[in-house]
Amino acid sequence: MTDVVLAMRGITKAFPGVRALDGVDLTVHKGEVHALLGENGAGKSTLMNILSGAFTDYGGSIEFAGGPANIHHPRDAQRLGIGMIHQELNLVPHLSIADNIFLGREPRTKRGTLDRALMHRSARELLANLGLDLSPSRPIRRCRLAEQQLIEVAKALSLDVRILVMDEPTSALADAEVARLFTIIRSLAADGVAVIYISHRLEELEQIADTVTVLRDGKQVGTQPMAQAQRAELIQLMVGRPIGEMFPRADDTADTGTPQLAVDGLNLAGDPLNGRTALHGIGLNVHKGEIVGLAGLMGAGRTEVLQSIFGVHPRHAVSGQFRIAGKRYSPTSPGHAIARGITMIAEDRKTESLVLGNTVQFNTTLSSLGRFVRWTGVSRRDERAEVRRLVTDLRIKTPSPATVVNNLSGGNQQKVVLAKCLLTQPAVLLMDEPTRGIDVGAKAEIYELMNQLAGQGVAILMVSSELPELLAMCDRIVVLCEGRVTGEFNRADATQERILEAAMARQAVLSSDGAT
Amino acid sequence: MSATTKTVMPQLIRNERWGRVLAVLGSLQGYIGLVLVVLFGIISKGNVFLDQTNLTNAVGAFASRGILAVGETLVILTAGIDLSVGSMLGLASMVAAMSLVQGGIPPLLILPICMAAGAGMGLVNGIGATSLRIQSFVMTLAMLSVFRGIDRQISNNVSVGTQPVNSDGKLTKHADQFQMYGTPGHNIFGSVYYPVLAFIVVVVVFQLILSRTRFGRHIYAVGGNETAARLSGVNINRTKIAVFVLAGLLAGFAGPIDAAYSASADPLAGQSYELDAIAAAVIGGTSLAGGRGSIVGTLVGALILTLLDNVLGLNSVSDNLQLIIKGLIVVAAVVLQRPDLFSSITAWFRGITRSARSKGGT
Amino acid sequence: MVHSKQRAVVVAVGLLAVVAAGCASKATNSNSGSNNGGNKSSGGKSSGPFVVGYSQSNNAEPYRAQLNLQLQYYIKKYPDLKLLPIADAQQQSSKQVSQVQQFIQQKVNVLIVSPNEPDPLTGPVQQACNAKIPVIILDRSVNTSCYSAFIGGDNYVAGKKAGELAAKDLPNGGNVVELQGILSDQPQIDRDKGFRDGIKSNPKIKIIEHREAKWLKENATSTMQQWLAKDKNINLVYAQNDPMALGAYLAAASVHKENSIKFIGTDGLAIPDGGIRAVQQGHLAGTFIYPTCAEEAAAMAEKLAHGETVQKKTTLDITAVTPQNAAQLYTANDFSHKK
Repeated sequence: MTDVVLAMRGITKAFPGVRALDGVDLTVHKGEVHALLGENGAGKSTLMNILSGAFTDYGGSIEFAGGPANIHHPRDAQRLGIGMIHQELNLVPHLSIADNIFLGREPRTKRGTLDRALMHRSARELLANLGLDLSPSRPIRRCRLAEQQLIEVAKALSLDVRILVMDEPTSALADAEVARLFTIIRSLAADGVAVIYISHRLEELEQIADTVTVLRDGKQVGTQPMAQAQRAELIQLMVGRPIGEMFPRADDTADTGTPQLAVDGLNLAGDPLNGRTALHGIGLNVHKGEIVGLAGLMGAGRTEVLQSIFGVHPRHAVSGQFRIAGKRYSPTSPGHAIARGITMIAEDRKTESLVLGNTVQFNTTLSSLGRFVRWTGVSRRDERAEVRRLVTDLRIKTPSPATVVNNLSGGNQQKVVLAKCLLTQPAVLLMDEPTRGIDVGAKAEIYELMNQLAGQGVAILMVSSELPELLAMCDRIVVLCEGRVTGEFNRADATQERILEAAMARQAVLSSDGAT
Repeated sequence: MSATTKTVMPQLIRNERWGRVLAVLGSLQGYIGLVLVVLFGIISKGNVFLDQTNLTNAVGAFASRGILAVGETLVILTAGIDLSVGSMLGLASMVAAMSLVQGGIPPLLILPICMAAGAGMGLVNGIGATSLRIQSFVMTLAMLSVFRGIDRQISNNVSVGTQPVNSDGKLTKHADQFQMYGTPGHNIFGSVYYPVLAFIVVVVVFQLILSRTRFGRHIYAVGGNETAARLSGVNINRTKIAVFVLAGLLAGFAGPIDAAYSASADPLAGQSYELDAIAAAVIGGTSLAGGRGSIVGTLVGALILTLLDNVLGLNSVSDNLQLIIKGLIVVAAVVLQRPDLFSSITAWFRGITRSARSKGGT
Repeated sequence: MVHSKQRAVVVAVGLLAVVAAGCASKATNSNSGSNNGGNKSSGGKSSGPFVVGYSQSNNAEPYRAQLNLQLQYYIKKYPDLKLLPIADAQQQSSKQVSQVQQFIQQKVNVLIVSPNEPDPLTGPVQQACNAKIPVIILDRSVNTSCYSAFIGGDNYVAGKKAGELAAKDLPNGGNVVELQGILSDQPQIDRDKGFRDGIKSNPKIKIIEHREAKWLKENATSTMQQWLAKDKNINLVYAQNDPMALGAYLAAASVHKENSIKFIGTDGLAIPDGGIRAVQQGHLAGTFIYPTCAEEAAAMAEKLAHGETVQKKTTLDITAVTPQNAAQLYTANDFSHKK
């Protein structure tokens, strides 16, 4: 356990206008689970990308198992036995699970054709180890996000790795799946594989990690054994400033009286081919100034509820009564919803919320262009002023409003989406996993913002898979299971156990028929 | 605001101003191609090339295709494509000629008639690509055939001249007026050649629409990320139908120009013009994937294509060699468009020197 | 796996369907006689209506559009001949091959073909001969001589006469520019050679520029504009077809040089926008009618239907259009009002 398998020394890397890494050292031993902690933009992903050979151009040196390593191409990393599981899934949607696992190194029969039988056998074995009962020939696009994440793990495990890097591997997983994953990680470590584990979930790190290294703004600011590390101390290292309350939910600002948003008898036709869960008789209310959480397992229908309110689904698939501040509301389209004061932050910001190739300004003002229209067209000056104000208020780390959104880190991208929603001056804010994949500092800022908005009278409906977040931020929590409301708790009565109980219909979270 | 905010703002503003300057100049690299072509022209045929008449002729000959390219750019920006613009132009050109000769319609009225016809054709394309959910490539490919068929049918496969004469051998009054649309040698307002004026006006108007209006933003959003655009409240179908209608409208607008330039409408007019239109857009920096591009860029692309043709022609370069050169220039112009061109080259260079060093060093 | 088995079944069913369709279409082909008159006996000497099938290479070309009009007109003069709807191959040889084969299936009494290209059409023509169907080839050749008759014009002669006209119009020599069709087209090659031979009689005539304008009017306009910008001294323009000649005329007119330059075209179509009219108006110094061969084709079709033999190879004359005979030639060749 004392053999050093990886030593990265003095790593530097610069992108146009940004110094991503500034002399970072990282030492990992055989069989060690080494956590890498840091805000988004601190440099964790960049460091790991260098290790996996994604960049040809960086400063510093890498030693592997005692000897110098020349890593400038993914093949170099693969040859050394470095496997990487990315935060953004690298699966081809139209190919099958087995095809994806063996992509680029497909086994062949003696005749030279693909050895599908071998591929399927191996794939099934790997999936079984992860507790997945899926057919290896199922195409990826028919698999849920959680399943896809585990398939990525299976893919990495099928390579003979000596170092395995995992970047946010549990962001879409439920507790049972996380536990299974940890078992696998522990057995890998016992076999001598070193695991570098990147995550924001401090509770998980406390369970699984041996050592933790903290990065901040491209520099390494601390390395200590996990057992000795205090949570508050780690957070302080990460953000460079003491954080008092992690979850500052202010005093109850909820109104009584007519709910700002009232949903009654919402039924939604399911669409299994496109992964749409059916909804049955959903009813909920959100009052002015109230934050209501929507809890449940993957596939429970939480996102579908938000989408139905926002008018995303075709009109004929949705039935039910909706009222905004007492007035009848018919969700016909997102544009109509925005006009009625409802705005939504979607689950996957890259594919659903942002035009990645365009600028911060473009994305921020997209939903509210009407505000800036003069007779000469859209006033860029007014736009810029508003965007600058939001960039400052939300502390979006961007060189300028003209920066292309694709170059921002995940947390800052999410803030841009938030800015876009805020500009529409909503009365009802729908949020779908608003803090997924975001560093602690940014999370705190978003919670603060939610409090402010609630204080101003906005009604907030939030979907989240993070129970601590729900418990800390929400005035009420509605629990869904298989498209039905199975529980509703006030802040005072809610506990993690009660929520989970209401959320679970069966033991196994995943099954091959896709229904939950 | 906190202390950090006070320092963040001025930095933001400074960065922005520089970014704005760059944005206005567009992708500077795109102009390199144009500058090279012009230099080539000046060096090889100096005063002949730079002569105002020659330049007017060169731009005027491409004007109808350039106008098509503007409409095509709008469609491509939404991640669609319109393969029928050439056929729409041909049909509009025939409508113009037949209105003049057989309909006896005054030339000033012919333009709105052609534009209406074009808009109607564009509407068909738009409805097919949205409500009927047919991919725009397939829909417009089919319409290319349909519009061409209609064109040939109404003309009975015979070209229609636009210079009909009276019994005294002189042009009829309407025919004489019609020449202002672009018959070579006929100018309006004294010395302005209408096709060139029309092209420039179209470029200016549509660049303003793209950059200044909500509609323009919606176009970029739909092409950049259709899902994100929809969830941001943009009406996707309306935007898409609108760009197809505009492409058709512009084809109709160019119809009289085409008919006047050749003093006749040929039932085969405009064949393969869609390729020129797409080439002008792509050379000008418009990405076929959607979401990126500008009308100014298309103007540059159009100028590169037509001036290159002019320069090669003035130098009497052999026809076969012209084909080869033109193809290579297109590739070069598109490569020069890449914003990360210089950084890729330096990175590649560094990669080579590094592997050379590591091979020699150890 | 289940998926691959399903796929195999689908493929098998698909193949069966294709084969079945093929058989069906063959059956319907031999039954599609809806356009046939009464008698379907192949090539017999009965006096019933004789069916003529005409495979055209490309209806879109104005010359061929005229050809079609004329052929329809002339065949009507023979009451016992019936012309099927003309098959348009739209310039695709593969399409023309299947169209000719369909005519053979329909057992037409006479087959007339304007081949798009010689090589691809050789096979089907041979098949027609084997089926004992008399074949008339118009204008472009094929690589077999089993046909009953070939009728064509001579593009070389068209070019040569144009060259001779140029030599006559420039007695003291001068600068000539040539606008060419698509370089690889045989008519272009022949007309070009003929023209150059035709001007040899006057060595003081020089071709100072020549360019491929692809038979298109607008290409000729912009090319001529470039030439006028460069060479101030052009005396004569020779264009291998009338649209190109007229395009050059427009360019010259834009700088008021149309009267100091002579223009010679080729085609001589009797349409309002065509070469004969242009000669009448004084725009063209002359043009040359390339014969459609329609009248002769109709006459031969009648003979062949009745089992007579005809001349194997007929080359028709090129008629020169001059300001003197233009009006009369226009009337003679104008088929727009004839039924």
